[in-house]
Amino acid sequence: MNKKRQSMITSIREGVKALRHPGAFLKQHPRMMYIVFGLLYMVIAYLPHFGLIEFGTMGVFAYIAIYSIVALGLNLLLGFSGLISLSTAGFMGAGALGTGVLIQQGLPFELAAAIAVITAGAIGALIGLFSLKVEGIYLAIATLFVGEILHKIYTQVAIFGGDAIRIGAIKVFGLRELSQISQIDRTYLFILIVAILVLMMIVMHNIVHSKTGRALLAMSRSEHAAQAMGISILRYRLTAFVTATMFAATAGVAYALYFQSVTTAQWTLSASLFIIAMVVVGGYKSIYGTLLGVFIIHGIPELIIKDYLGDVSYIFSGILIIIVIIFYPNGFVYIWYDLKGWMYKVNVKQKIKNLFTKEPTNRGDSQ
Amino acid sequence: MTTFLNILFNSLETGSVYALAALGIVLIFRTSRTTNFAQGTIGTFMAFIAAFAMMKLGYNIWVVTIVALLAAFLTGVIIDTIIIRPASKAGAVSKQIITLGIIMVLTDLQTFIFGVDTQTLDRYIPSQYSMSIFGATLQYNTLLIIVVSSLLMIGLFYFIQKTRWGLATRVTAVDETTSKLMGVPTKRITMISWATAAMLGTLAAIFVAPRVTVRSDMLVSVQVSAFFAGTLGGFSTFYGPVIGAYIIALLKNVTSFYISTEWGDVIVYLIILLFLYFKPYGLFGKKPDKKV
Repeated sequence: MNKKRQSMITSIREGVKALRHPGAFLKQHPRMMYIVFGLLYMVIAYLPHFGLIEFGTMGVFAYIAIYSIVALGLNLLLGFSGLISLSTAGFMGAGALGTGVLIQQGLPFELAAAIAVITAGAIGALIGLFSLKVEGIYLAIATLFVGEILHKIYTQVAIFGGDAIRIGAIKVFGLRELSQISQIDRTYLFILIVAILVLMMIVMHNIVHSKTGRALLAMSRSEHAAQAMGISILRYRLTAFVTATMFAATAGVAYALYFQSVTTAQWTLSASLFIIAMVVVGGYKSIYGTLLGVFIIHGIPELIIKDYLGDVSYIFSGILIIIVIIFYPNGFVYIWYDLKGWMYKVNVKQKIKNLFTKEPTNRGDSQ
Repeated sequence: MTTFLNILFNSLETGSVYALAALGIVLIFRTSRTTNFAQGTIGTFMAFIAAFAMMKLGYNIWVVTIVALLAAFLTGVIIDTIIIRPASKAGAVSKQIITLGIIMVLTDLQTFIFGVDTQTLDRYIPSQYSMSIFGATLQYNTLLIIVVSSLLMIGLFYFIQKTRWGLATRVTAVDETTSKLMGVPTKRITMISWATAAMLGTLAAIFVAPRVTVRSDMLVSVQVSAFFAGTLGGFSTFYGPVIGAYIIALLKNVTSFYISTEWGDVIVYLIILLFLYFKPYGLFGKKPDKKV
């Protein structure tokens, strides 16, 4: 009884502390930070209703959220495990098209999504097994084979509807039908996919800060040393590939949920390359870095460059990619450390300057 | 017999195109340690230049080819000097993404300069000139493509194996830092490699252009097949991908003719994946030595 009261008091105290110093609280609880980030992001869903941005712009932000999910999964593969996959877009397509087809067969949305994601994960497991034998560029191109086969299946098999699947309104949680056409429904859909993004960020955070994350890091540095420490390569390779493909498929589900119409031909090698570019440009091993990368690769061209330059916007995003990689080979998010280092240098220089410019009489006064 | 010969001639022609592209990819992979995804885009860009020179300026196909090859040489040198060399510190994947950046820049530049309309390029020898072997028709143009690309590749292999510069290329491919210490001009080698690769891609584009017309995605399937040829033959030799290219072309044509037009490619890919599982470094590949 007493214990319960004690714990209640401490939790209230912590709550008050959190309210008084929100910055420090969020630093201690990174998971809360993701939720706060998500809530701020959700505000975008209401801006079009007040005429602050257009509904099309909201679509770009939805794209950013969706790409962030798949890029997070790929970062686990690329950043933490040092493995590359060129079939990411294929798995995203599996999530989107799979959900669409299953809904058209009459399944409820949640079940359809789950089946699509699990199927993608199973194929990911197969690739993981394959990766034990095949390495480096050979593995990259082996995944390209998988991507090409998936692309062929999407465009050739009649069940995917030839050019595109039009899903129409989706009933979410059996409660309410949400349609892309209605403006208020679109706001709800946006909130839903941001919620999925926040969930995936927290999942990613948990994986990275667990035994699995450390094992993956060890594996990426030296496979042999990791093996000598008792890390099972098979198990963690499988984990990495399955997680990455399931993240990709989840992004596909979010795509199907928001846009409610999925074309079959868009899941190509170049789409996969764009997702890799997001991870590379944003920053390996960093969750916010990944989001930054998505914003640089997809957001800046769509939101800013396109308005000013129109058709030739791709030239500038291409140049942007090249410049960022030349100057920040580990990702643009590391500009933060450079800035910090630079500030530190300036501070130290200032202090040294102060030390020498102080007049000796001052010292005498203080004594 | 007749159909098989037809398939064979067809495969030799597409195989030559794949082989040229694959050779360019492996050349860059060995000397610059990156997978060049922009190989196809560079070739396409040059094909547009060629088509422009032909339609607007009225040159014939032979002159046009030389113009396009010169442009390709220059492009390769420029790409290496201002993009690849400054990024030498970046990791393998980052370098691959740089080639994605090159794709974006070139593709947009191409639509900006030449528009989105498809263009055409002539055959070297018009298609009515052909001969018949056991009932199968062999166009002289096909024969020319096969002979020219084989001669070119044999010449390139001779160059790589027998000359001083070839030796320099090979040692750069094995270990760039050591070669630099030994006095090999590795910078010039990588530059020439990029230029040569761009020229090979351009030839592939001009050879394939009369069949598919000049448009922005004309080399996508060629490039993907060239990557596959590289894995099938193994990236550790220069001749492996070339042989892989001919094998893939033949397999693709045979499966799509005898089994299924739509699923022929998928069957070939599955066969190669299975093959890779048992021989992970390709037909002629060696397992690279790794430090523990």
